Amino acid sequence: MERTIEIKNSLGVHARPAAMFVQTAARFKAKIVVERDGIEVNGKSIMGVLMLAAERGARLRLRADGSDSSDALTALADLVEVRMFDES
Amino acid sequence: MAEVSVRALVGTKKEDLSLEVLTGEGTLDTSIYSVEVNRLGLCLAGYTGPFMEQSVQVIGQTEMGYLQMLSQDARRAAIGGVLAFRVPLIVITRGLEPPDALIPLAEERGIPVLRTTLVTGEFIRRMTGYLEYMLSPRLTVHGTLVDVYGVGLLYTGQAAIGKSECALDLVERGHRLIADDVVTLFRRGRAVIGQANELTGFHMEIRGLGIINVQALFGIRSVGMHKRVEVVVNLAEWTKDRPDVEYERLGIDYAHVDMLGVEIPKVTIPIFPGKNITVISEVVAMNHILRVHGCNAAMDFEKHMIELLSQKRSAESYFLDVEE
Repeated sequence: MERTIEIKNSLGVHARPAAMFVQTAARFKAKIVVERDGIEVNGKSIMGVLMLAAERGARLRLRADGSDSSDALTALADLVEVRMFDES
Repeated sequence: MAEVSVRALVGTKKEDLSLEVLTGEGTLDTSIYSVEVNRLGLCLAGYTGPFMEQSVQVIGQTEMGYLQMLSQDARRAAIGGVLAFRVPLIVITRGLEPPDALIPLAEERGIPVLRTTLVTGEFIRRMTGYLEYMLSPRLTVHGTLVDVYGVGLLYTGQAAIGKSECALDLVERGHRLIADDVVTLFRRGRAVIGQANELTGFHMEIRGLGIINVQALFGIRSVGMHKRVEVVVNLAEWTKDRPDVEYERLGIDYAHVDMLGVEIPKVTIPIFPGKNITVISEVVAMNHILRVHGCNAAMDFEKHMIELLSQKRSAESYFLDVEE
């Protein structure tokens, strides 16, 4: 299952939002992969997510594999696009 | 309300505070309720209050000089005014001669008078330290206290999670055990100090082995009498099937736990068989020292990250180029 999301918070994915992202991802059993420009990282690894250097406006492709994939992608998209990582 | 009896004070601190009892044995049954040590000062001039009955009252050189300035009648009146309260203890410093009328009047009122050879400032400092220790609220916690690189780590967590085994491993690596299983905490100023229970001392129970004596096994360098609790390390069972249980991933801010009214930094470390909690403990201690020195790795990293992201470089550009 896949979904593309766009980074909307002004500072991009720095450490605080990255921590929120991996913590949200870790709540689900599904394996989660985040991809940007051909670079793929584990969505539950904070260093991995940071490595994507995703600034505001960057588009990330999320791929989830597992029984709760749909819920995981919805929660992550909500965190990134609606809550905008709570502008942390 | 916590109290310290003057008899206990004389019994334990006679040498340390170089005390001499000037009134009869029978006067020693009063109790001190406050850590404040009051210089009689203005009380001799008539300014008194209920605080007189809580605290140790000190007569130093200043008070003595003032009393000597007064006529004999006025001196008696000044001392009488003070002794009208149920003062728990009067201490004369610098080994000075007590003013006339003080001793008989104090004995009549059942108020003990002690004399110390210490100067007033030094006496008040030592006395306050002793009273703080004796009057501090105490808390007994189920946990293990270890001095790791000079940082007091208090391990908490459910029984049999491996607190003692972790402490043993740390002792083996040269750190010091303060207390195992039962840690008694008290406050000194804004510090929370932990120590062993006198009964259990440096004994430890290792499941499958029984009771061991850490000092006998590892020597005097492996144990310590007391240590300030600087970080609470909560050991929690790793719950693979409980993805809702979250652990700190960033560490910019510490979580805290309240102990005796003092906020103490707390980290929760998930553990599972084979995880090397000893090395993590050493890192917890060293990282704490770094923070005390003003270096917060997570915060510095975060600042660096925000700066780099503002440059809007591609992720690929950050890969280290190892080609010739």
